[in-house]
Amino acid sequence: MKLCEECNKAAAAVFLKLAVNNKVTETHLCPACAAKKGIGLGLEAGAFNISDIVGNMSGYFKDFLPPERKTLRCRSCGLKYSEFKETGRLGCPDCYDGFAVQLTELMTRIHGASQHAGRSYDGGASLKLSKSEVARRLEELRADLKVAVAREDFEGAARLRDAMKALEGRHG
Amino acid sequence: MAEVIKSFRPQVTWANARGAWPDMIFSTRVRFARNLAGFPFPNRAEPRQLAEIRRLALAAARDSGLFSRGHFLKTEALSQLEKRFLVERHHISHALAASVLPSGAAVANDEDLSVMINEEDHLRLQCLNSGFAIEDSFKAALKLDSALGRELPFAYGGKFGFLTACPTNVGTGMRVSCLAHLPALSRLGRMPAVLENLSHLGVTARGIYGEGTYVLGDFYQISNATCLGRSEEDFCQNIDRVIRNLIRQEIAAREEMLKGPLKLKTEDAVFRALGLLKHARRLSYEEFMQNISLARMGAAMGWNMGVDFSTFNQVTLLLQPAHIQAAAGRALNPDERDALRADYLRGKLA
Repeated sequence: MKLCEECNKAAAAVFLKLAVNNKVTETHLCPACAAKKGIGLGLEAGAFNISDIVGNMSGYFKDFLPPERKTLRCRSCGLKYSEFKETGRLGCPDCYDGFAVQLTELMTRIHGASQHAGRSYDGGASLKLSKSEVARRLEELRADLKVAVAREDFEGAARLRDAMKALEGRHG
Repeated sequence: MAEVIKSFRPQVTWANARGAWPDMIFSTRVRFARNLAGFPFPNRAEPRQLAEIRRLALAAARDSGLFSRGHFLKTEALSQLEKRFLVERHHISHALAASVLPSGAAVANDEDLSVMINEEDHLRLQCLNSGFAIEDSFKAALKLDSALGRELPFAYGGKFGFLTACPTNVGTGMRVSCLAHLPALSRLGRMPAVLENLSHLGVTARGIYGEGTYVLGDFYQISNATCLGRSEEDFCQNIDRVIRNLIRQEIAAREEMLKGPLKLKTEDAVFRALGLLKHARRLSYEEFMQNISLARMGAAMGWNMGVDFSTFNQVTLLLQPAHIQAAAGRALNPDERDALRADYLRGKLA
């Protein structure tokens, strides 16, 4: 049970998450302290109730995420699973493959389901790009690759080569 | 003065009080979270990649034909006031306004459609309509989604659906929300119980500007809490059911406030609020919202407030802090804003 961060006595029942200047601050308060703080702004006790805990990613994740091997990381973007647990944000679409086992369990906790049942989409892979667009992006990737090689970041370089290969197949 | 603000219409269609139950549902919004395959999510992308995503997104929005004579904005080119103006219009979030990385937005000419670029996800597509309009908003948002999905490679997998930076948005990536005005339930002290109940129905309540914002003027944003494992239509139907039930509860609460000795108390509170709105010389936005909430309820109860719901909604929009400064044509300190707000309102309610 989390205690109110204001009085440190009563159980926190109200959760406030505010984004100010790109920094997210999180506060857990008991109803009495929340009411005190809310005066003048029409904040109703309970306005940020249990359902908003879904929005409280970091605390939520720390408590509920399944344990993982320390080394687990996304092969595409390099995000460590432990970093995801800290921030609640994945690094790239491929993280969903890399952490599929852990995320399946997490999805069941968040959504009560782990299988998409909505609209399907097949535009992604088949989408063609113009020759000049592909050339422009390849040029950028080539520049990145040079930097990666110079830095001896071979993992990054391999990712960039894969990306270039994928891109070359996308003009038509 | 900010050119961007001047290019926006003074009034917006989603605040014109049309649609079903305009006295209880201010507006309906459907949004889809989408990301581009082949790029890291914004929190992990390089500024160069974010600039590329923005370029692609703005081009796709333009090519879709849904944004003719619309606005194509880069956040870093906007002033603080312009950004706040866009937050007040619900086209960008507080988080995007604070971003220093390449980000932006495309907004349709009559502001029912918009695309927020490089906030938590690469794209947030939204449709915003007046009143209780889930089906219409859903269809229009879907049209925007299809149009952009043809141009841009969305990140999608068969298991988790549309892939998003935060696992809470994965699946349909859809959030359906109604901005509900619930003054009677609030005044009778029922909201804590109502909100508690909503949390068991797969529904979340937030403040007027979305996640992490305060409840102002008894306005609550009610939206689906989950978005994976069911079809888009199912999620829409669930919110539709919940909102209809909420409307019934608010109607019952309003009837209760007109019974026996409560009636005079209610009438007194409503007309005091109207008097304050009509005669105050200084009015903060919070005080304005508290009192217009009562006046709105008074109009719904059939008392003559002198103006219609459309006017109530428009002033609710136009008297926000950045809007007041936009109308004045310059930055104002809070005292100046409060005086101008009171002046403007007296003109409208006279």
